[in-house]
Amino acid sequence: MSATSYGWLVLAFPLAGMLIVSLGWRVLPGRLPGWIGTAAIGLAFLASIGALLDLLDHPEEERQLVDSAWTYAATADFSADLAILVDPLSVFMCLVVSGVSFLIHLYSVAYMSGDRGYARYFAYLNLFVFSMLLLVLAANFVILIIGWAFVGAASYLLISYWYRRETAVRAGIKAFVINVIGDAALVVAAFLILDKAGSLDFLGVFQSAGDDFTENEGTLVAICLLLLVGAFAKSAQLPLHTWLPDAMEGPTPVSALIHAATMVTAGVYLIARTHPLFELAPTAADVGAIVGTATILFAASVALAATDLKRVIAYSTISQIGYMVLGVSIAAYGAGLFHLMTHAFFKALLFMGAGSVIGAMAGVQDMDRMGGLRRAMPFTFVTFTVGALALAGFPLTAGFFSKDEVIAFALHRGGWFAILAIAGYLAAFLTAFYAFRMVFRVFFGEPVPEARELEAGHVAHGEPMNPMTREPEDSDVGFPAPEHHVAEQSWPMKAAMGPLALLSIVGGIVAIPGVTDTLEHFLEPSFQDSRFHDTAPTTGSEVWGLVAGGVIAIAAIALAWLVYVRRPGTAARIRERVPRLHRFLVNKWYFDELYEAMFVRPVSTIGAFSRRVIETEFVQGTIVGGATGIVRVGTSFARAIQTGYLRMYALFLLLGVAALTLYFLIASS
Amino acid sequence: MTIHLSIVLFLPLAAGLAGAFLPRGMARWAVLTGTVAVLAYAIVMIVDFDSGGGLQWVTSDEWISELGIRYELGVDGVNLFMIALTAIAWVPCTLVAAFGVQDRPRLFFFFLALAETAVLGAFMAQDLALFIVFFDLMLVPFYFLIGGWGSGERVRATTKFAIYTLSGSLLMLAAAVALGVLATPDGGEISFSLAELQRRSIPEGSQHWIVLLFALAFFVKAPLFPLHGWVPETYRSTSIPVLALLSGVLSKVGVYGFLRIVLPVMPEGSQHWQELFIVIAVFSILYGSILAFSQDNVRMVLAYSSIAQLGFIVLGIFALEEKGAQGALFQMLNHGLVTVPLFLIIGVIAARARGSESLAELGGMAFRAPVLAALFLVVSLATLAMPGSGNFVGEILILFGAFEDKLIYGLVASAGAVLAAVYMIRLFQGTMHGRVGPAVESREIDRVNLAAIAPLVAVIVALGLYPHFVVDRTEQGTQQSIAKAKHAGPEISVIK
Amino acid sequence: MNITWYLILSAFIFAIGAAGVMSRRNPLVVLLCLELMLNAGNLALVAFSRMHGGEAGQVFALIVMVIAACEVVIGLGIIVAMYRNRLPIDIDEMSELRG
Repeated sequence: MSATSYGWLVLAFPLAGMLIVSLGWRVLPGRLPGWIGTAAIGLAFLASIGALLDLLDHPEEERQLVDSAWTYAATADFSADLAILVDPLSVFMCLVVSGVSFLIHLYSVAYMSGDRGYARYFAYLNLFVFSMLLLVLAANFVILIIGWAFVGAASYLLISYWYRRETAVRAGIKAFVINVIGDAALVVAAFLILDKAGSLDFLGVFQSAGDDFTENEGTLVAICLLLLVGAFAKSAQLPLHTWLPDAMEGPTPVSALIHAATMVTAGVYLIARTHPLFELAPTAADVGAIVGTATILFAASVALAATDLKRVIAYSTISQIGYMVLGVSIAAYGAGLFHLMTHAFFKALLFMGAGSVIGAMAGVQDMDRMGGLRRAMPFTFVTFTVGALALAGFPLTAGFFSKDEVIAFALHRGGWFAILAIAGYLAAFLTAFYAFRMVFRVFFGEPVPEARELEAGHVAHGEPMNPMTREPEDSDVGFPAPEHHVAEQSWPMKAAMGPLALLSIVGGIVAIPGVTDTLEHFLEPSFQDSRFHDTAPTTGSEVWGLVAGGVIAIAAIALAWLVYVRRPGTAARIRERVPRLHRFLVNKWYFDELYEAMFVRPVSTIGAFSRRVIETEFVQGTIVGGATGIVRVGTSFARAIQTGYLRMYALFLLLGVAALTLYFLIASS
Repeated sequence: MTIHLSIVLFLPLAAGLAGAFLPRGMARWAVLTGTVAVLAYAIVMIVDFDSGGGLQWVTSDEWISELGIRYELGVDGVNLFMIALTAIAWVPCTLVAAFGVQDRPRLFFFFLALAETAVLGAFMAQDLALFIVFFDLMLVPFYFLIGGWGSGERVRATTKFAIYTLSGSLLMLAAAVALGVLATPDGGEISFSLAELQRRSIPEGSQHWIVLLFALAFFVKAPLFPLHGWVPETYRSTSIPVLALLSGVLSKVGVYGFLRIVLPVMPEGSQHWQELFIVIAVFSILYGSILAFSQDNVRMVLAYSSIAQLGFIVLGIFALEEKGAQGALFQMLNHGLVTVPLFLIIGVIAARARGSESLAELGGMAFRAPVLAALFLVVSLATLAMPGSGNFVGEILILFGAFEDKLIYGLVASAGAVLAAVYMIRLFQGTMHGRVGPAVESREIDRVNLAAIAPLVAVIVALGLYPHFVVDRTEQGTQQSIAKAKHAGPEISVIK
Repeated sequence: MNITWYLILSAFIFAIGAAGVMSRRNPLVVLLCLELMLNAGNLALVAFSRMHGGEAGQVFALIVMVIAACEVVIGLGIIVAMYRNRLPIDIDEMSELRG
């Protein structure tokens, strides 16, 4: 079987899983929908491995295979096939996506059991994986946009999965609309590409990019900036990030899968995929690098002040994707994608751990109410800490190698990129600090009542309510299930978290500077045309970068230990010293309020104005009123001569005949 | 020369007449059978259609020879899928009405059948006078269907609807007569045959005002801002199956007229007003979207969303570019295919909320009605032109066509595409998600509505999977219809 | 043959009839006046027919008489119906068709 056949299989399995689960929702008993969904993704993962092996059989220069199923739409100069592109980049993405998705499905089988929408959940989840795989396998911009939008829709459905919660519904609409803004930007970009390059196929456009575009040409910069808008919307980069923290309204495994490991990295994939264009438009690439760096710092600062466990991890995700965007924007494709992979491992793990913690706390997500869970949940504690270490970039964990490689690359580019690198190190310090702020606040300190209850052997049970608004809820369809699950008592959750913890530690092995370069080497065919191909930093400078990163991580962890374990209360004192800064961070730099004032309210005002003034005064008043006015004047005249008196009618008749006679007399004479 | 089109055309009317003489209870089944037969015919036509074969199944006979009016029918790429849309839309609407309408059923179903014949005739006509006959004939059954079986202020609504469309029709009639006369060469015979009119030359100065009169009639029918004054009341008081047809199919006849008559016959005139019509279209997109976004009544959301969608279609047509026209035609089909199920779903929703159609009182209906919610979701996503739906292909082609010629207008229109996401998701969530509304009784969709809506959803999904099926068959027709207008006259200021 | 005087007479009768139709309120009188107008027309028709020496005019006159007879039958029928319903026998009172 060829690599492209495997590629189609990769798509077919999740799609089939979704169809089976969604059409059979009424008849499939118990946890069966979950197992079907998990099996579908597992098969997709195996098919990805098949594609990988087949691709490795090809010589390096023939590792870009396109296969078309049918013509999707073609008219005039517009032409798009339903086609997939199997190359190292897409296979790499397929492996990461299907692999992590498989583990998260497995986790969900247990975590979501008891929920009244169990089958719907797995149908959505499979739909999401299908869309994500379509996105990464697409061979032209049209199919890419389709995958892009499907991913957004699946994400919307999963955010609003508990659809009777008002907060979840609002979060869903926000995510959807921001994603559509990204879609629209991609459509415009696709048009400009078609207009200039005469094609929408990736390979065709990229091969002739050098001839179709001159460097930094206005149109090309516009194309790349539009692609960036699309990427930023999906990857939650400034200023389009506001939907991601709200997306935490979805079930926790969804946060792990979509809003940490896979979908939000689509923007990074897009920049990597279209790198031939970005390399011809350095201005746009620089914009990407700067925005990425700004996002790293911004999100890390907000994560310092947030108290909702899932939202801290969400801001951490925004921040980490900033690193990836920075990486692929400065042509450190291998490093950026490497960080994408390791981040998928440790971030999914952190969310799974958080899910377990939230289960133990009977749905509570506020860190202020947690503490001392270490002894009650040893497995969760260990795996969560491993994830936090990888996130912090603790020496020799996966995140250590990948993050610092990106920063080393920025340093190596020299010039003002050094500023970006320094910002990257600063953010790395903050990252390590907030990562362990979570660990220490959740697992250390005095055990809370829920922790004690769990130590006694059973999971705490609270009244069902919305963790954000404290509104009471029931536990029927559209609300979370009454029972909660912790990893300690459920083997599928353990089976999902164990491998991820392992990968978070050893995942760096594929790209240790000076030792291994498996990943770089594998991805090379996709990026061999890069102009920066031979400008990778030397092993020596990379090692120095790693040392610096390691020191920063250890220092930040030590500081967090001082603040939260050694001298509890320090944080509160700092808070009192800088109340304004604290409020600024707690309110997330007031982005939501800004958008409310800039977009939502003006549109509503225009809408109300149109409804009240234009519609009533102009359309109904002037146009309708004018037309009916003419009719009314005409009819009132006609009515006036209809007196109802026979004699008047006779008179009019006579006058008419007389007038006619007179006319003929005059005419004939 | 075949008789097939005449059979298709008069099949519904025959069924309606037969129903009128059958016992009260039987009329609905007679008409339903008629619509199903038309659908079967339409499917055969699509299968048999030759993508590159020009005008097919032509019927051409003398009608009023003194006035040069012929009974001329034919099918090509431009109207093939419009006929199909009519055939597809009428079946579910008749089905739903068959189980809903109890009051004077024979009359109701006769009018419903007459309406189908009129719409089919307008789409099939290849003679201008014949087109106008059917175009105006459409008004008759809808006048009675709205006025006789509507609700609320139906008399007021009907009056407004009639005055609006009649004024438009009269202007068009005048324009058509002028067109026929002015196109007649000295000593030649007057003719209204569209093929003949295309060959004749009409003075450019006359083209300008004739195009404007036609446009007025078509914009009223569509409707486009600011000629949509009849929309709110009519939409509010029309019964659901009739409204689905009014919004899904009738609105297409007007814009279809541009592709069939205005652009091919009066290319210079079309070129002359291009900028104005594009501005009207873009404004309609924005205005309709913003108003749809701020409505509380679910019908009104769809009413204004129709204005926006029709704006897209007119934008595509008057981009005067192959992709734009192709997209516009495809979008006409897509919009019809999503509007019909949307309205039927709204009927289902209202039936579960004690007749309430206010978003403030609805919500949470998905709770016990997952199938209803799933169908509604698919249709909503298609309506907002989510990539992967046929509507997306239509919209992207329209936008590409608009970008090609008038980048700025295209960009503004894309903002409308984003707003569409806002109002459709708001509509979906406002009815299906959130807290269960005070008047809502969450109950699964009934079998009749399921049988009506599910096939439409299947067609929507199929078009999303393989849009080229339609694009391929319509390509030749649309290219011919805009070919002259595209190259007519000097290029007007190209903003790029 | 000079038909001037016939026509003048016909015009006079017609004018009298028309004036009666327009000024009288009793429907019976209005009907009578209508008859006058019709007969004025008949007179003119017969006169012209004599002048031209053809029969067509005579035939027309006969047809007009038949129509006049029909009209009187219906008109009187309506008046009787009005009387039976105790409605006022006054055409100015019967202005239901007022716009």
